[in-house]
Amino acid sequence: MHLRILTTSLVVSLLGMLEAGCGTSVQSVPNPPQVAFLPQTFQPPENCLPCHQRQYNELHSAVKSGYRNVSPLFNGLESAGNLVNGGLLRPVYSDSTVVLPDGTLLNTNMYTTPILKETRQVQAGFCFTCHNANIEVLGNNPNNREIPQLAGLATCNPAPPAGQQCFQPQAFRPLRDYVMVDANGNQLLPPVPGGDPPSGAQPSLGAAGITCDFCHDEAGPDLNRSFQMDGFANTSLLLNQTILKTGPFSDPVAVKNNFHVANRNPSDIAFLTNGSFCNTCHDVRVPNRNLTAEEHNMNPGGQNVSYFRLENLSTEWQIGPYNGTNNPFGHLVRCQDCHMSLFPYAGTSTYQVGDMTVTSPTPGVFATDYAAVPGVATADNAPLQQRQVVEHYFTGVDVPLMSPTELSARLGPNYPDPYGMGIDTHGVPNGLATRRQDLMMAAARISLGKTDATTQLGQTFTVRLEAVSLTGHRLPAGFSQERTVYVQLAVTDANGFLLYQSGYVVDKPHPNTGEPAPDGNLDDEDLEHLHAVVDPGSFTATYTSGTGTNGGNNVVFEAGPDDGPDARIFEGAQEGLVLFRNELTHIFLPGQAIGRIDAATGKPVLAQGVHFEETFQAALANTVDNFRSLQPLHPRTYNYEIQLPTMQQLQAIGVTVQGPLHVHAQINFEHFPPLFMRFIAGVTGATGPTGHSLNLMDEQRIDTYLKNVKGIASDDFTVNLTP
Amino acid sequence: MKLPYRFPILIVVGLAVLLVSVFAQSGGYTPGEFQSSNPNYPKPNPFYFEGKIDWNLLNITTPSNAWEYLQRGMHYQDDMDDVPDATTDYQTSLSMNSLQNQTCQIVTAATLVNGNIPTSLTPAPCMFTVRLRLGYLQRETNPSSAIELFQEVLQIDPQRLGVNTLIAETYVIEAQQSTDPTTQQQAYANAVAAYQAELALSPVTAQFTALTADAANNSKVHWELAQVYEATGQNSLAASELQAYLQATQWHSDVYPWRIALAQNQIHTLAAKK
Repeated sequence: MHLRILTTSLVVSLLGMLEAGCGTSVQSVPNPPQVAFLPQTFQPPENCLPCHQRQYNELHSAVKSGYRNVSPLFNGLESAGNLVNGGLLRPVYSDSTVVLPDGTLLNTNMYTTPILKETRQVQAGFCFTCHNANIEVLGNNPNNREIPQLAGLATCNPAPPAGQQCFQPQAFRPLRDYVMVDANGNQLLPPVPGGDPPSGAQPSLGAAGITCDFCHDEAGPDLNRSFQMDGFANTSLLLNQTILKTGPFSDPVAVKNNFHVANRNPSDIAFLTNGSFCNTCHDVRVPNRNLTAEEHNMNPGGQNVSYFRLENLSTEWQIGPYNGTNNPFGHLVRCQDCHMSLFPYAGTSTYQVGDMTVTSPTPGVFATDYAAVPGVATADNAPLQQRQVVEHYFTGVDVPLMSPTELSARLGPNYPDPYGMGIDTHGVPNGLATRRQDLMMAAARISLGKTDATTQLGQTFTVRLEAVSLTGHRLPAGFSQERTVYVQLAVTDANGFLLYQSGYVVDKPHPNTGEPAPDGNLDDEDLEHLHAVVDPGSFTATYTSGTGTNGGNNVVFEAGPDDGPDARIFEGAQEGLVLFRNELTHIFLPGQAIGRIDAATGKPVLAQGVHFEETFQAALANTVDNFRSLQPLHPRTYNYEIQLPTMQQLQAIGVTVQGPLHVHAQINFEHFPPLFMRFIAGVTGATGPTGHSLNLMDEQRIDTYLKNVKGIASDDFTVNLTP
Repeated sequence: MKLPYRFPILIVVGLAVLLVSVFAQSGGYTPGEFQSSNPNYPKPNPFYFEGKIDWNLLNITTPSNAWEYLQRGMHYQDDMDDVPDATTDYQTSLSMNSLQNQTCQIVTAATLVNGNIPTSLTPAPCMFTVRLRLGYLQRETNPSSAIELFQEVLQIDPQRLGVNTLIAETYVIEAQQSTDPTTQQQAYANAVAAYQAELALSPVTAQFTALTADAANNSKVHWELAQVYEATGQNSLAASELQAYLQATQWHSDVYPWRIALAQNQIHTLAAKK
């Protein structure tokens, strides 16, 4: 009898455990209770300046502050997405009367929707939310609204419902048109969409983007609004617009005049000071109803929202070696340890990664300083102690694509020069461009040490390039499908005669953006693995969403002479460009137009089968390859099988090759692919779908501000040439 | 009915063993679990992820399907320099994703439902990566098999760039390996046809030139096609292809830049032979 009971109990237990282990049912996870403090309006960073001057100055020069909101590239991308789908990426607010096809009222956006159950809710403010969540929340009050809800919203496909108007591309303005105010704080729009800042324009509250308040208002992760119920991605962050501000210290000093209250809640402090905080925004998951976006919102009722991973940086860190102790430093290395510390200006460490010995800057070293201005910041002028403090530069891979004059016109007269010189009181360079360069130089190392030592004319020999990323995430990360890291490699003889090259660029004309002849600049040239031109679209009197007239497909798409990425991945070939850039792919189904016109028939070229093609318009991607980037602390070897010319071939061209041969390899970083920027120039240009220039991107801007970082890492190897 | 005394003991022991085996897997990847347990393992719907995922991130102990064998094969080939084991894995993968034994299908317009792909397809769509990888490895040792694999890729995606070039290059290998003039001639003719098919996928049109300033493209194809024409004594055609090669490299150079000077020299040499 006892055995029967035991057996029954075990069976029940086992079934229960199997259910727990294998079941797919998901319960809603409640967010932590919110503690009520006095409301405080979202503060401009200038209000924090008197007590936190240093932090204000640092954040002011970070691209996530200010610049991102006026960035020609961010604005261009957001515009391109809206132009192809009829404005769906613009926020909607609580007074919206838009009704979705299933009868649901669309009156919440990506931030204000409690649980994202409709793709359109995620689309509403998709780009804007991450860069300006507080402003989006404030927008529910029409008096505080900076970015208007667009009329139409793709309702002209094929015709608008009765009483509604179509999306009007000719009236479309970039987001940055809306972030200017006059001296009285009233919104000041450029007279024409995309026009220059009007006289007397000042930055609006929203122009500041990611501010002091955004981070220090945090109240933990929003588990219900994150697709995997984990507080990752798409601003899965609870924000308190109250006087409670969370900082890093468990023993903060009381604030003068109770301007704010310093949060002592250990869990809020721990959240702010860990990678989990960054995770709320640094994965970007794009809603997509198409066929290959298999991941979906796990929240109850959210299963219809499927998505693909555009930015996957946080996941990469979360599952990577720096989120633990199994790394060269033996302790957890947080986002803050590289992007908010003295890194890379605080000494170096030497360690072993695989069979590579690496010397690189040490993360997690912080300056000692006051966290607030002594004598100004504390109640009763209580004395402050010096502590370990963080930098608020948040340096990454970006520099503004604007002149200091343009930046000042939109963001205020004191906007720091990205190319400024000098160092701050902590010894960190003032200029963002210098900081970015130095950060990139710490990102990777390479070795040619396993290359064939000897070779002969007329034979092949193998260059073996070992590369390792030292970053906390993959390299590149972020918008890793466009951010470009690659290997430039050359084999020369003793006289410098070039026998092989990969990762090279050629100065050439760009007639599609008005560069009729080579201009002597190589930073604006694309790598030679692929030649592509993206359709910029064109204006039509009656708007129809989709790629028909709104651009995005490749009108030129052909393999180049250095076709390494596809050949290496899909064929296993050991030749051509080593490219660490990830890829957005559009899978066309049989019969779908792929964007090109058959010259003979004048008709669109249709996919004859299932056709895979790289796309440079994220809104058109229905799958993504996020594994081309370089995994952190995991060395990989890339072979180049190089064919040397025969003696006869050399004699024909009058060249004598003299040994030894010299192999040089280096890793370069390309800010963005020029062809991608030329697409942005076209789609937001005067002949694009709006019919007027949005004044964002053109060839001159590309030529002037597209600055790449070369020689992040390099190595050389000598190969003996035998008779 | 009373169970014999030892029978419940066997049940208990059996359940205990099962319990241990179930939870022994909890630290690793269990086939069938997807993004919630391993964000690096994409669920195919309906197409496979065609690409390479870092093997260490997949947590696959033993491959269990065509895609997993492909991934391990790529790991063997690229990361371990182990071509024999890679080949075996590719062959196993292919046996599980085969047109011949109907374990995969070519998706056509007829497969679509209201212009969309069904949420599941049985059998699964054919993968192109395993065919390209295995074919590439077999080019020298078994060119006819390699060509068949490449042609299956063209059935999957007739407009995929580079596949016709692979077919052409394999025909050239076949011609070079053959001692039979008729076989050689046929192989070279097949190579020319395949190269021309590749060029047809990226036609040089007025729009193309207006956008790019290029008067030709596909320098690699023109170079290789010129070598075929020269090998078969078609000097005029060879010179024409070398001219196209020079045009295509005008703004793009070549990974072997000395070929540009060599092409110029060859054009003069071929002209002298007329």
